[in-house]
Amino acid sequence: MTKEAETNRYDLHSRSRRILGLDKDQALKGLFGGNALVSIIVLALITFFLFKEGAGFFGQYRHEIELYRRSGLEYVEIMKEESSSYTELNRYLNSIKGEHATMLKEQGLSFSEAKAELASYEDFIYDFEDLGYPLSEYVLEMNEIAIGARDMYVESANYREHRENLLALGRDEEAAEVEVLDVDLSLFVGMLKEGEPDFLAINDKLAAGIERLTSDLPTIGVAKLDEKMQRFRQLALMFVAEMEGYETRLKEWDSQAPVGMGVAFASFVFGKDWVTNSSIQDWYGILPLFTGSLLVASIAMVIAIPLGVGAAIYINQVATPAEQNFIKPYIEFISAIPSVVIGFFGIAVFGEFVRRASGWAIFSGFDIFPISERLTAFTAGCLLALMAIPTIFTLAEDAINNVPKAFKEASLAMGATRLQTTMRIIVPTSLSGIISAILLGFGRVIGETMVVLLCAGNRIEIPDFTNGVATFFEPVHTMTGIIAQELGEVVNGSIHYRALFMVGMVLFLLSLLINYLAQKIVLKYQISRG
Amino acid sequence: MANDKPEPKRPLIRVSDFDFYYGEKQALFDINMDMKENEVTAFIGPSGCGKSTLLRCINRMNDLVEVARIGRGKIEVNGADIYDPRVDTIELRKRVGMVFQKSNPFPKSIYENVIYGLRIQGINKKPVLDEAVERCLKGAALWDEVKDRLDTSGLSLSGGQQQRLCIARALAVEPDILLMDEPCSALDPVATAKVEELIHSLKNDYTIVIVTHNMQQAARVSDKTAFFYLGKLIEMAKTDEIFMSPKNEQTEAYISGRFG
Repeated sequence: MTKEAETNRYDLHSRSRRILGLDKDQALKGLFGGNALVSIIVLALITFFLFKEGAGFFGQYRHEIELYRRSGLEYVEIMKEESSSYTELNRYLNSIKGEHATMLKEQGLSFSEAKAELASYEDFIYDFEDLGYPLSEYVLEMNEIAIGARDMYVESANYREHRENLLALGRDEEAAEVEVLDVDLSLFVGMLKEGEPDFLAINDKLAAGIERLTSDLPTIGVAKLDEKMQRFRQLALMFVAEMEGYETRLKEWDSQAPVGMGVAFASFVFGKDWVTNSSIQDWYGILPLFTGSLLVASIAMVIAIPLGVGAAIYINQVATPAEQNFIKPYIEFISAIPSVVIGFFGIAVFGEFVRRASGWAIFSGFDIFPISERLTAFTAGCLLALMAIPTIFTLAEDAINNVPKAFKEASLAMGATRLQTTMRIIVPTSLSGIISAILLGFGRVIGETMVVLLCAGNRIEIPDFTNGVATFFEPVHTMTGIIAQELGEVVNGSIHYRALFMVGMVLFLLSLLINYLAQKIVLKYQISRG
Repeated sequence: MANDKPEPKRPLIRVSDFDFYYGEKQALFDINMDMKENEVTAFIGPSGCGKSTLLRCINRMNDLVEVARIGRGKIEVNGADIYDPRVDTIELRKRVGMVFQKSNPFPKSIYENVIYGLRIQGINKKPVLDEAVERCLKGAALWDEVKDRLDTSGLSLSGGQQQRLCIARALAVEPDILLMDEPCSALDPVATAKVEELIHSLKNDYTIVIVTHNMQQAARVSDKTAFFYLGKLIEMAKTDEIFMSPKNEQTEAYISGRFG
């Protein structure tokens, strides 16, 4: 050591190089801190943006519903309901005929023979259809009036806005040229209301007609179909009984009844219809999407939980090291498959397979099989399960692995079998970890978009749970799917655009809730370990 | 067995010509020893000398180690070769209980901890279980401290209490033999004294084998002491003999603290 170095030994100032005036520690801290800060800011921005875009929805929606009422569209809708339930009756009648025709064909009758057979009651069907014409024509006419009124009102509002814009810009001359019609909606509603006696008269006639026709049902001569004919009479008489309900609703309807924010809110949260680009009225009810998402996710979880947790237990407690080395990376590899590829597989292979398989002889005992749809909640659910399994497996395996070896040893030393040890010690001890693994798997599934968009069938309708198991084989649409499908095509700032943001917000809150619960549970788990 | 004590005490555990391997590495060399009924046998020796390995061979806990295997010889408990292929380790472990170095009560209530061994045998009758809990906790000298809070988690107890709870748990299946693997190494002197006291009283009903690093402890609690070194049994004799007048030089060196 030189003499100079010797004297410098007690020069205790830092000798490391400085970056931007910071020493190494500070620079590193700044780097990582900066990264964390950026993530937080981005997350905050996303949240803010979602809320900002979605926030205007309810006001706009309330306004639309108000217009729907003021213009009398709502009034017409009541009549339409009656008309469409009449159409249902017709359809039922025709389905009897259709069934009969198939039957005859199976019996080997030629076309003309079958036709002759059907002719015996065809007149009855035509007569029944004819009864409904006055009603449907009347409804059509009223519909035109209401739509016309609404359209004119919207148009004039657009012109007014245009004029105001011009005025605001100081282009008064141009503004004066813009003609704005004052549309008084109450005039149109008055027209609708004036027609009410006509409508009542049509109804009376229809009721009398139905009663007359059904009192003399034709007999087909096939027991099963005649039974259906009887059922038809019941339905028809039920319809007659319901007519009065429609009439009172029409009489009580008030175009000026106030439309509150609550109506808009309820119509979103509990709305059963998601109808867009309709010429009459758009509806943004999240219920069909929400139930669709939930149904698909539930199917996925029912499949993924036993498989994921079971595999985790097996790998951690039973498998030999060789098996572990094979199975673990294999399952984890599944999560590396892009979801669009899984969706592709679902459309090309799996959906078709499920449909074919449902026709196999072993399923013939179930009357819901074979199914006719290829893309259903079940198809999507199975594929989503595939995607949830790695998540559930990995996290559950971690949780099980965290159980101290001492517990296992103690249990085995007491003379417990391996199965007893697993079921009584390992699983209960890691249960909260397993539950949070399941929750996170659920979060993964509910947020998954591509697979459901491709494979769930995309029919916007609340699944009919009264069908029992068959419900699982109905096509559904989901919250994620609808956003992916429609957001690209909507006008920025339109109500439809905002409605999609609201759907996004519901998804966001749902995920937040799931993650929060998962964390809560894990926290509880750590404490219980002492 | 404890009821009809034969005199002189017969060996309940007999290890003969026992070689044991972890993979290629031989851990035990030609061990021969008898452990008599209702006696406390202490295994002493420096770390890695094989004393814990031998202990864990007696209830076949070493089966859990993938690479473990027996080279030669056998271990008999009550005259039965425990490495006979027909032996069910489950049955063996019900006869040979074990208490571990680190107390490991399950994350369950004190009550459930004690009766775990009974539950896994399918015993679910409340009066039977209640009786067992009281008997075992009294047997482990823990009853008075916890009788009012049997529903609280076993993990809420202090370290010494946890270890006694583990002993109570081991007693519940009514074993004949208790293996203790350094049961006091994580305990403070007061808790250690309590466990030692407990070992004294348990001697009347159980045959106890204890592994310990603490020579005073071996001297205090055991009837016989076995000194192990590098996988070999160097010397085994009555405890006072081994501490007063060891025959082997290595034993003497270890006991007097010159190595280990």
